[in-house]
Amino acid sequence: MLHFIQTLISGLSLGSIYALIALGYTMVYGIAKMLNFAHGDVIMIGAYAGIVTVMSLGLPPVIAIILSIVICAVLGMLIEFLAYKPLRSAPSLSVLITAIGVSYFLQNIALLIFGSQQRAYPTIADFPTYNIGGIQIDGITILTLAVTAVIMIALTLFINKTKLGKAMRAVSEDKAAASLMGISVNRTITMTFAIGSALAAFASIFYGMTYVYIKPTTGAMPGIKAFTAAVFGGIGSIPGAMLGGILLGLIEQFSKTYISTLWADAIVFGVLVVVLVVKPTGLLGKQMSEKV
Amino acid sequence: MKKILCMMLALVMMACMVACGGAQGDNNDDVIKIGGIGPLTGSYANYGTSVRNGAKIAVDEINAAGGIDGKQIELLFEDSQADPESAVSAYGKLMDDGMDVSLGGVFSGETASITAAAVADDVLLLTPSGSADKAIEGNDKAFRVCFYDSYQGAAAANYIKDNEMATEVGVLYESDYDYSVGLYEAFVAECEKLDLSIVETQTFTTTTATDFSTQIDALVASGVKLVFMPIYAEEASTFLTQAKGKFASDVYFFGADGLDGILGKVEQDPSIADNVLMLTPFAADSEEANVKAFVEAYKKAYNATPDQFAADGYDAIYIIKAAIEAAGSTSGEELAKTMTTLEYTGVTGTMTWGADGNTVKNASAILYKDGVGSLFVK
Repeated sequence: MLHFIQTLISGLSLGSIYALIALGYTMVYGIAKMLNFAHGDVIMIGAYAGIVTVMSLGLPPVIAIILSIVICAVLGMLIEFLAYKPLRSAPSLSVLITAIGVSYFLQNIALLIFGSQQRAYPTIADFPTYNIGGIQIDGITILTLAVTAVIMIALTLFINKTKLGKAMRAVSEDKAAASLMGISVNRTITMTFAIGSALAAFASIFYGMTYVYIKPTTGAMPGIKAFTAAVFGGIGSIPGAMLGGILLGLIEQFSKTYISTLWADAIVFGVLVVVLVVKPTGLLGKQMSEKV
Repeated sequence: MKKILCMMLALVMMACMVACGGAQGDNNDDVIKIGGIGPLTGSYANYGTSVRNGAKIAVDEINAAGGIDGKQIELLFEDSQADPESAVSAYGKLMDDGMDVSLGGVFSGETASITAAAVADDVLLLTPSGSADKAIEGNDKAFRVCFYDSYQGAAAANYIKDNEMATEVGVLYESDYDYSVGLYEAFVAECEKLDLSIVETQTFTTTTATDFSTQIDALVASGVKLVFMPIYAEEASTFLTQAKGKFASDVYFFGADGLDGILGKVEQDPSIADNVLMLTPFAADSEEANVKAFVEAYKKAYNATPDQFAADGYDAIYIIKAAIEAAGSTSGEELAKTMTTLEYTGVTGTMTWGADGNTVKNASAILYKDGVGSLFVK
């Protein structure tokens, strides 16, 4: 039983990281209708930004957090401007391939600048490990879960209640009609990328605090897993990303504990296939019928 | 016009041939060229750099003392980034540069690919640190300075038994790395003989080496007092960072030569490596005179304490010197014959070699505490 609860906690810990990354994926997809495969690598750049500010420049962690967010947001807008904007009217396959290209570009840039050796993420704050009846819970796990939930709620409110959120929903439904209504489509999409990438900065901070070591390939695997989580929960749906991320983390850790570490990834992706066969839009995804 | 062009082309070609001939003529016999291959950049750069630095010290010492039979040694070292394919092309480059004796590769994978590539060449191969059993198989001119994996795995089990460190142990190994699997299998086989019981076995792969929480939970829950982990320092540092404070303070983490350099990976908090024990034939704080001299020279040159890989590199050069002096030649065939009759005492212990190229030597263990490694005494 103890073992079961311990696995549950480590599943929640991993799942909340996936959820945090998946929120960025799903937000960009939901509005710009494109898969930003470079999202995981923006997280990696955010983590390096944290390492450089604290370790190399010796600045306090608060500055590191702010700087990571700013750098990620600017990087997201820059990627959108340079790589995706020129392809606005191109087939979605071209954009997809470009996104993969951007992902590798970022990885190799990091490889050139920081080298392939892993570097330790600075300790931003000391979190106690709680020991309740033999069960160990890291403070950081609780904080990650809480922050992910807060961001999910804030994001939902932002999209549903604010003017910019309304513009985003309009662009997502019909770009041409939205621009006829006086909405600047380009500006709205740029804002979407800025917010999505700022979320990546949050993910980088929590990833760094939980797993400590950062490499140029750090963003790749969690990026793919989080993308899976977003599809699992219904891509485009914000609560779906949170649910998908946490479920994915739980499935992964339970398969590692009770089945086999070797099989964990196969099981995770197997579950995804099953869910998509039964419910092609994902757990919370809505069926959007094309009006003729 | 055409004729002039033809003449000019012919002239250029002739010049090329002369130039080529000139370059080959440079390969004089006053210098003995020893070529090494290993990762000098990338995640595993610490291993290659250590070997090269250790070898460099031996080369400088020998050259200062007059060389081998009056000939100076030149050390060539190529970067492979631990990639077996790059190692083969590096080997080709070294042969073009006139290499007389090869240090093989720093890693087993590199060594194995060079061993195969060098079968037809008359070159002695002496890898300082390629420890996989198969790394030097199939080439009767290939030898090694370090332990071989199956011996190392068994030696670890024996060490645990002899020092009564635990009767029940846990294991963590990387299931997609030959080195890790090789040690694990040998360890399991020896544990059965010695009546040590393995109560918990956990694995991971290269792609899952970021999150160790389930493995840590399982190992903590099993209540073992010793975790055998035949893995590399990078993965070990990730595991230990996540495990910090979760294991009881008297639990040992027992690894082999792969853990070498772990302190460099946990610079942000050296106490992460507390209770890590590393099986090694080399202890930098040993009282032996030759070890002391080597450690002092290394510290002076690189401002760092040499690890086992540096010691392996250092010994390899001296073993080559001893073999060339005994054989009176640099021919691979002659040197290979000499190797099996040679006995050499270096900083990593006293070694003799079998026809299979393997050497057997005594193992001790280094215990890390507060960022310092010292010889483990029960």
